[in-house]
Amino acid sequence: MTVVIEVDRLSERFGPVTAVDDLSFTVRPGHVTGFLGPNGAGKTTTMRVILGLDTPTSGRALVGGRRYDGLVRPLREVGSLLDATALHGGRTAWAHLLAIAQSNGIGRSRVTEVLRLTGLEAVARRRAGGYSLGMKQRLGIAAALLGDPPVLMFDEPVNGLDPEGIHWIRGFFRELAGQGRTVLVSSHLMSEMAQTADHLVIIGRGRLLADTSTAALIESSARHDVLVRSPRAAELAALLTARNASVTPQDDGALAVTGLDAVGVGDLAAGHGIALHALVPRQGSLEDVYLDLTGESTEYRGGPR
Amino acid sequence: MTRPPLAVRARDLLASEWTKFRSVRSTYWSLLVALVTPVGASALVAFAFASAKPGQGGRLTDPLLPEVISLEYAVIAVSVLGVLTFSAEYSTGLIRTTFTAAPRRRAVLAAKAAVLAAVLLAAGELVAFVSFFLAQAILARHHQGVSLGHPGVPGAVLADGLLLCLCALLGLALGAIVRHTAGGIAATVVVIAVPSILGLLPAPWNGRIGRFTLLDAAGQVTALHPAADLFSPGLSLLVLLAWPAAALAAAAVLITRRDA
Repeated sequence: MTVVIEVDRLSERFGPVTAVDDLSFTVRPGHVTGFLGPNGAGKTTTMRVILGLDTPTSGRALVGGRRYDGLVRPLREVGSLLDATALHGGRTAWAHLLAIAQSNGIGRSRVTEVLRLTGLEAVARRRAGGYSLGMKQRLGIAAALLGDPPVLMFDEPVNGLDPEGIHWIRGFFRELAGQGRTVLVSSHLMSEMAQTADHLVIIGRGRLLADTSTAALIESSARHDVLVRSPRAAELAALLTARNASVTPQDDGALAVTGLDAVGVGDLAAGHGIALHALVPRQGSLEDVYLDLTGESTEYRGGPR
Repeated sequence: MTRPPLAVRARDLLASEWTKFRSVRSTYWSLLVALVTPVGASALVAFAFASAKPGQGGRLTDPLLPEVISLEYAVIAVSVLGVLTFSAEYSTGLIRTTFTAAPRRRAVLAAKAAVLAAVLLAAGELVAFVSFFLAQAILARHHQGVSLGHPGVPGAVLADGLLLCLCALLGLALGAIVRHTAGGIAATVVVIAVPSILGLLPAPWNGRIGRFTLLDAAGQVTALHPAADLFSPGLSLLVLLAWPAAALAAAAVLITRRDA
């Protein structure tokens, strides 16, 4: 498959701070690719380098095989939304979009069209300063769509949207990808990306942590274990350990068992006449996987309680 | 994709910047102040000179003086408009959208400068000529006026209009350099107004240094009787052009070097 966005050994340092550290990944068409990482992981910086706004310290980022600043009429090739609040509050949505469109030789009819696509027709002649954050997000998405580009990049587009807006935007991204476009969406929320993206690029402290399909990520590192409660827990733990299962006692007296499934644990207990009060097979959520991956690389975290 | 010709890309950017310029209120407020203030002020100054009694002092030494004095007030309004043209994009973050739409940042600077220069040249000349006719009409009643046909007058009045355009361009460049509205306005005031203090230096240094300042150079170009200790009007015009030219050159260098 063709590679549309290519980040190649990219590093970006701001004085003593390394925002992006030897990062390489590719983004392919026809999918929604989630660009995931904790706050401060380097997502925005990477996107800014791809868009030619920041000059990388080393490495490069290419779109369709070319550097962004070499694109003629770039909005026809890459649509992007970095910050929905980056507007002149005194300008109407119509004038805002028209100015952007004109810079790339895009006509007025397309401005009307993207206002319709994002549901902003009714407020197009109102000054954007009075828009809610959700409306500004829609306006930013409208601007990204102006050039009808094959590549789209959105930085945290879900922030500020209400549940209806979130539902709309998920469907919208899938539709764009379904048309064969390349869609890169950043987020710091795994739960959000799990529902939107079918491929994930996860970074932490500027380094690549995972580059995989969403399904494979769940499959590969989901934690399967069995939670057991028994009045004779200590006895059961000894039996389980003898069967090479690994047992982790929980704070409330329950046992977390790996290496033996629920059926095995139940049969073992029954064979020894041990009563069970609970026998729960558990599957780790994608959120847990994400926390496991990024746990080491979170830049800011709360202290121990 | 085939590369559109340079003329097409230039037209696109000019259309975009023209849309931005005319779609915010600050443009109209600044232009209103820049238009009304000097016209009103020159009438007032002309009236004050005209009604001064002989032998009392305060007599008019140069019939174009009312206009020169009053345009200095408009200078600040048009400089602020220039600063805002760039700084508003930096302070809102819109500049990132602008530079992703047009990665050739110097072309953006050029397009902004062209739109601003065209509007302010038209507005500046309008103000200059309206102020001239108004002030001279008042002075003429006291037999101190001068007609447009008088040698040196058309050039001086045209230069008045040009001064507003050049100050707007200086503001634009400083807005791009400072990237902050309040800071840009402060920088503009410093660059335009503060050097005039050098005129207070003891002679002959007041003239030797003062002739390089923007306002003294402007005074030479726009006066009917230029001062003897400063540059000639021709050289002063070059000094006048050099200020925005130097600032725009610095902006053009910095704009591509810094992250947006």
